[in-house]
Amino acid sequence: VTVLIHHCILYKKAEVEETLKRIQGQKGVQGIIIVNAEGIPIKTTLDNSSTVQYAGLIHQLVMKARSTVRDIDPQNDLTFLRVRSKKNEIMIAPDKDYFLIVIQNPSD
Amino acid sequence: MSTTRAKPKKPTLKVTPSSRVLNVSTSGVLRVNHSSTYARSINASVSRKSFSLAADSKILDKSSVQTPKHTVQVFDENGKDVTPQPLYQPDPAAVMSKHSKIFASDTSGGTMSDFYSTAYQTTTNASFAGPFTRSVFGSSTVSRGSQSTMESMNEEIEDPSSKRDISISLSDVQVRREEVKELIKEEMLDDVVDRYLIESETLWLLHMPAVSVSVDSEEAVSVKERNNLYMELCKNRMGNDKYVERSMQTFNGAPKTKEVQSEAITMVDAATTATTWDMYDSFRSAGLGEAALSPDTDKASVPEIVSNHRLDPTRAPERTMSVISTTSIASASSSRIEMEPFVVPSEDEPDPELVLQSEKFQQDLFVMERIILENIYQPKLAAYRQLPTLEDPDSVPKVVPTVVSRREESSLDEESTLTPALERLWSFSCELTSGHNVSSMAWNKRNPDLLAVGYGQFDFKDQKSGLICCWSLKNPTWPERVFTCESGVTTLDFSASNASQLAVGMHDGSIATYNVESREKTPVIDSSDCAHKHTSPVWQVRWIDHERGASGEDKGETLISVSADGRISKWFLRKGLDCIDLMKLKRTRNEKAKKQVGDKEKKSEALISRQAPGLCFDFHPTDSNIYLAGTEEGHIHKCSCSYNEQFLETYIAHKGPLYRITWSPFCSDVFLSCSSDWTIQLWRQDLFTPVLGFTSTQSAVYDVMWSPKWATVFGAVNEGRVEIWDLGASILDPTIVSLASPGVKLTSLLFATETDCILVGDSDGQVGVYQLKNLTVGEGTQVAALEDIIGSTLASQL
Repeated sequence: VTVLIHHCILYKKAEVEETLKRIQGQKGVQGIIIVNAEGIPIKTTLDNSSTVQYAGLIHQLVMKARSTVRDIDPQNDLTFLRVRSKKNEIMIAPDKDYFLIVIQNPSD
Repeated sequence: MSTTRAKPKKPTLKVTPSSRVLNVSTSGVLRVNHSSTYARSINASVSRKSFSLAADSKILDKSSVQTPKHTVQVFDENGKDVTPQPLYQPDPAAVMSKHSKIFASDTSGGTMSDFYSTAYQTTTNASFAGPFTRSVFGSSTVSRGSQSTMESMNEEIEDPSSKRDISISLSDVQVRREEVKELIKEEMLDDVVDRYLIESETLWLLHMPAVSVSVDSEEAVSVKERNNLYMELCKNRMGNDKYVERSMQTFNGAPKTKEVQSEAITMVDAATTATTWDMYDSFRSAGLGEAALSPDTDKASVPEIVSNHRLDPTRAPERTMSVISTTSIASASSSRIEMEPFVVPSEDEPDPELVLQSEKFQQDLFVMERIILENIYQPKLAAYRQLPTLEDPDSVPKVVPTVVSRREESSLDEESTLTPALERLWSFSCELTSGHNVSSMAWNKRNPDLLAVGYGQFDFKDQKSGLICCWSLKNPTWPERVFTCESGVTTLDFSASNASQLAVGMHDGSIATYNVESREKTPVIDSSDCAHKHTSPVWQVRWIDHERGASGEDKGETLISVSADGRISKWFLRKGLDCIDLMKLKRTRNEKAKKQVGDKEKKSEALISRQAPGLCFDFHPTDSNIYLAGTEEGHIHKCSCSYNEQFLETYIAHKGPLYRITWSPFCSDVFLSCSSDWTIQLWRQDLFTPVLGFTSTQSAVYDVMWSPKWATVFGAVNEGRVEIWDLGASILDPTIVSLASPGVKLTSLLFATETDCILVGDSDGQVGVYQLKNLTVGEGTQVAALEDIIGSTLASQL
């Protein structure tokens, strides 16, 4: 059974890697950042300074957004956040353990 | 003659005979003196009353106040008169008469003589109002060393007076003085006036009780004893153990300065905001052990809930507080043990690897991918769904082909300006599918956005492993599910009753069902174990819903398949996939319509098999008993489920294998067939010759499909192009023609059910999505239109 589980984890990891690669290869995607619960980037395709900057700023924004949503209705929760700006769009998938941040410029 | 008698106005009191007593009562100095006057004082014992012993002086004291006063003279050793001067020296002349009265009250021991009387008077005056007359008679009274009784009398008289408190007499004196003054007249000067001398009260000026006792007194004995005892004691004191001198010394501790140094207490400011959801979460976590999830459970008994979200470790500064809050909550809630497992996960640091592999993360990735793609494909998808595409206001303006809504083109006036065309939106393809030939496509019956595409070669040569991809409209770049099969997939169909069930027919004759909901890569069931499985490629599978089960069969959906081994089989699940034959497609000759089973075939031709390979079939849209089957011979057989031996009808027109038969969804009598003889035939089921035939190119028509929206429109795909025929527009030429990319053969066609799009699969593994643009179909009921066409055609043929 342990072999099976190990296999599953490996398989999942491969799947995750594949998906990340696909996302990275999509049109207009500028970067992907995965940040853990404390704001430390786990995985990133951008350079270090940008990553740290994004991680810090977005962390605060998501906290605020989540707090807002939950203040209105505590049984509700934030599932996705999109920030559309002039130059690009930042898409954030928040979770209690991590943040998944993708920056895309769709009109590239 | 003035007789001055000292009348004792006040009761003389006890005159103590003991003048000794009086002696003793005086002071030490006096004592000396009085010892000299002792002898003389016997007479004046009365006067001595004033000197009373301390012991039994009580009565005496009082009485002494009233005893006649006798001046007492005090003499010291040298005989000097040291009689204390009276404190008050009244004016003698003024009070003389007065005094006489006063003295009248005094009692005297009768020792008054005339001689004495004046003196006495005066002295008593002096003594009584001592201060009054003292100065006058001081010289007369003060006698040095004289032992005369007069002197003694004077002394005696004086002394008490000297010691007397004159306060009372003073007042009397003053009062009487006034009275006397008024009465004095000239005539009265020579009168004999009686004077009465009274002893006044004793005025105490100083009273010092004696500490010495007279030898003759009663107490003397006891006092002596006591004195002796004391003397003994003093003597014995020296070496007596009872009296030990002891000295004590207290140690004064030497003061010492002591310093203590402690570490600075670090103060940390901690702040938190109690938000609504924070409290809700705290209540939830506290109430989880008791299965109370509503936020308004009365958890007021948990006052020490730290307002911190325990299950939200994403807030780093409050992470340290999470431990505190958990313990406090745990201690307050009754089910402490149940809380433990909840405490542990929140304190663990999530491993980055674990994060990446978590389900949630994959889910998020999945969604993120779709969102990104939506950003990219938004115009296309909007066109697909017939939504107005939004122009990105910030994007650089490019030349974007305007998407004009269909409604604008409904008017016939504009028809000429805008030709119907196929606009390519996108294509489902990925690296997995490249190189595979798209053999079949099917929409999911429940979710119209889900598409299943089967990949497999048609030809028996260059067979690769087959592939099934389930595509979602939301992600045109990667399939949602990928199933690999051993042999090429030739056909597939989604079940209507069980929307996630996909039946797949393969080139090697096996049939399998997949559950597309799960991530399993293997089929749910496979027909490889079946004894009656097909031995040749299964060219079509379909789920057919039987309204009425024939011969005791169950109602519901069944899987029907047609295969090149000439059988149309019905599959069901009975300890594995099993099938029964609905029909065996027998070879028929052109001349003959039917053949009996069991009749021996005329051996006019050398036939390899008696069965004709079935290539396609289609059940009647309304009557599920009737179905059409197309064979490789080019015959169309109308069959019934109730007869598995005979065909009902046979339609012969095609000269080549029939690739597709399809009933019209609008007209239940009309069906289309296409074959490799480059033709598409339109049939009406009561006519044995096709009503219309469509030929456009000289290539095999692989697929034909009626449009689900318009009765007069159908699409066909042959090797090199896609054709959309609108019979209302033209029965000779296709309305829209779209050429395939060079080198690619178009192999399958599928209409989208809800939109005006078609899907075209090609031999390169791509499924292109095209939108039908500007296709205007004539007004009026569709069915009527089609029938009109047919009718007119028939009429013209006649």
